[in-house]
Amino acid sequence: MIIELDEFTRVEGVGKAEIVVENGTIKEARVKILEGPRFFEVLTLGRNYWDVPDLEARICAICYLSHSIASVRAIENALKIDVPESVNKLRELGLWGEIIESHSLHLYLLALPDVLGYPDAISMVQRHGEIIKEGLAIKALGNTIREVIGGREIHGINVKPGGFGRYPSEAELENIAKHARSLVRFARRVVGIFASQEPRGAKAETAMTTSEYLWGDELIIEGERIQYEDLEEVPVSYSFAKHTYYKGSPIFVGALARVLLKGIAESGEAERLLREHREKIESRYVIYNNLAQAIELVYALEKVSKICEELLCEGIEKVIVEPEEKEGEGVGYVEAPRGVLVHHYRIEDGKIVWSNTITPTAFNQGIMELSLLEDARRMYGSLPEDSLKAKLEEVIRAFDPCISCSVHFVKM
Amino acid sequence: MKLGVFELTDCGGCALNILFLYEKLFDILEFYEITEFHMASSSRSREKLDVAIVTGTVSTQRDLEVLKDARNRSEYLIALGTCATHGSVQGSVDDTKAAFRRIYGDIRGPTKVFDPRPVVDHVPVDFAIPGCPYNKEELFQVLMELARGVEPVAKDYPVCLECKLNEYECVLLKKGIPCLGPVTAGGCNAQCPALGLGCIGCRGPSMDANIPGMVEVLKNILPEEEISKKLRTFARW
Repeated sequence: MIIELDEFTRVEGVGKAEIVVENGTIKEARVKILEGPRFFEVLTLGRNYWDVPDLEARICAICYLSHSIASVRAIENALKIDVPESVNKLRELGLWGEIIESHSLHLYLLALPDVLGYPDAISMVQRHGEIIKEGLAIKALGNTIREVIGGREIHGINVKPGGFGRYPSEAELENIAKHARSLVRFARRVVGIFASQEPRGAKAETAMTTSEYLWGDELIIEGERIQYEDLEEVPVSYSFAKHTYYKGSPIFVGALARVLLKGIAESGEAERLLREHREKIESRYVIYNNLAQAIELVYALEKVSKICEELLCEGIEKVIVEPEEKEGEGVGYVEAPRGVLVHHYRIEDGKIVWSNTITPTAFNQGIMELSLLEDARRMYGSLPEDSLKAKLEEVIRAFDPCISCSVHFVKM
Repeated sequence: MKLGVFELTDCGGCALNILFLYEKLFDILEFYEITEFHMASSSRSREKLDVAIVTGTVSTQRDLEVLKDARNRSEYLIALGTCATHGSVQGSVDDTKAAFRRIYGDIRGPTKVFDPRPVVDHVPVDFAIPGCPYNKEELFQVLMELARGVEPVAKDYPVCLECKLNEYECVLLKKGIPCLGPVTAGGCNAQCPALGLGCIGCRGPSMDANIPGMVEVLKNILPEEEISKKLRTFARW
């Protein structure tokens, strides 16, 4: 017998799952990514490197800036472009803005209805209007940052190899810093709500992050430093997303992995919140990815005001650095809101000749299935089928999957 | 009025952008009941719709079924975003079968895969709002007009016009930066030239676009194969 979970709701993209039951016991769980393939690796081929980050941004709307920045970093590594410190700081600001936008979307509009027992955020407005409005205010700040850094709320083209098209004004940075500071007390409230969730899903035993908090030249996994080629990729017949393993174990990437492996330093409120909820985070149950995101949301708001103040104090070098080389090979690792994102290119005569992208949702496929399997085993028989399905979908949602991103996971 | 939002294969941005309307979303809810919107709600409905918004390209058998169902159930169908109106970036894959084999090897995948094509190639649509992403204000206006029983009017002028109205310096003629503003449909308020960068053509061709003229101008800046790649990124001209 197969229990079919309908197309997931309140997630980005098209996917469903099935649980295989044999002789009354749960045998297998499959996550089926049905979003059509999107062929971005093929689309980048033959294009001038300058145009590629704008194209790659279109992989995902929720994390377009992560894609632009991963793409730009890969190109800069390949063509030996060394950008000034202030350019990097602005990119960090953009990535924190994206974390604010993406986490608040997920926490307030997609996941919160699960905790409070509603089908969606719109029907929560009557009784819980205040918290929804707080979430939207935080989300709007995230989008403002994306607009200032990336050029638009979605799919901006301002992030360029070597710098930016337009640089932000002092007034814009002051405005962002002020708003970020004032929103911390809202974000704090949502941490408590997600700390109340019961442990569910698999445990994230093999967590992976980039070597620095938001990016890096290496990946960290179980105390080791690796490159993404050290991971094992396996195509599966029932899904458009491949699975990834490290030494035979499924990998977990995302806020929980970041908070676990890197902690939260030099911050006030977020550090305190992490100490308060450390036990739950360290239990590694994937449902606490929600809690980790909530703590990280506070962290992001604190970091944003700090970075803006630093930029205002140190000044911005408004340049677009030209490449030293016309060919080369480079990888860009970035922490998208959902976890490690990889862009990798080979460039000849200024044109892309080889391209590869791996997204966080693709990395998480294996542990998503394991979570469904373990939860189905735990709950099967003790709940009516509809409630079981709803509970299983909640665990999928905790991964904050971005399915559109996951369907072009390819090594060419 | 009943409103449904349907997502086919895309980046999720067009559906997401509806949520980015913030307080205007509450204005829309004064006139519309959103009975179907899988990205935002777990409610599922089989009701007749007054307005269906469809985003993305038809890339799989599943997409085609969702699109036909949306068309059959709705009075008025809006193709939203450049994927739905022109195919956008994923619609520029020349040979889907070869691309698929290159990426997935011999695996067949969970559902039948088509060449990614815009919604307008498969069903009649009542209105199309291009843009990658589209302009949220434009969607808001269109929904409000429909709620008042007014047929919305499509924008037919190029991005250049909006650039001139904003008094931006011409990036194409003054700075020699490749810009598709002269041939791209306006409505975005010339967002890319505002950053000092060239228009990338994300809204597709404007009415009466002079493509040979555009190519002649670009030839002074770009090699010819790059011109065609640039033009064909978001729409098949």
